[in-house]
Amino acid sequence: MSRNSIIEELVPIFRDVLDQPDLELKGETSASSVDGWDSLAHVNLVVAIEKRYRVKFALGELQALKNVGDMADLIEKKVSKS
Amino acid sequence: MNEYRWSDLKVGLDAQFETTIGEDAMRRFVEISGDVNPLHMDDAFARNRGFPGRVVFGMLASSFYSKLVGVYLPGKFALLHGIDVEMKAPAFVGDRLTVKGQITHLSDPYKRLEIKAAIINGEGKTISKAKIRAGVHEPA
Repeated sequence: MSRNSIIEELVPIFRDVLDQPDLELKGETSASSVDGWDSLAHVNLVVAIEKRYRVKFALGELQALKNVGDMADLIEKKVSKS
Repeated sequence: MNEYRWSDLKVGLDAQFETTIGEDAMRRFVEISGDVNPLHMDDAFARNRGFPGRVVFGMLASSFYSKLVGVYLPGKFALLHGIDVEMKAPAFVGDRLTVKGQITHLSDPYKRLEIKAAIINGEGKTISKAKIRAGVHEPA
């Protein structure tokens, strides 16, 4: 899986969790650039992503993420190990 | 009150309790919510709508999901994040209700648990189903 294909797969998850049906994601998209991506929404996103990819994140891994691209890279790394 | 900490929780852990919604609870819910819809206030109106009597407020019955989380699962260190409730059937004043829930998912980074829950009446009929999201905020 490539970073871009993972970001494409993340779009429906983000749209559902953030209740924004037209939301588009890019690698540089971050919480500060998306309305409604607050701390509780972030928890909801993380849980939804864990379920979608059947992976488990550690808090330290998540704290190091700056944007959606970083999340996609982390998912790729996790999925390739599982 | 249960005092489950994050490390105590496992997928499949469950809890349940029984309760009855009486006249006093109905009256106090009206005072708090301001919902004076006659379906909940007027027996004749409710019967004309095809019900055997006044229907318990759906949100009053659903308030027991709060107790499920705050008292039982996980209990003392709970912080409710969200509940999606689906009303399946009416409850009536005096019904004996069983409120039950089971942990379906645990997410470590933010100590988030998810619970599949339901409220069942004395005849075994499901009054409502809920998906509950809660955090565990335990002392260090």
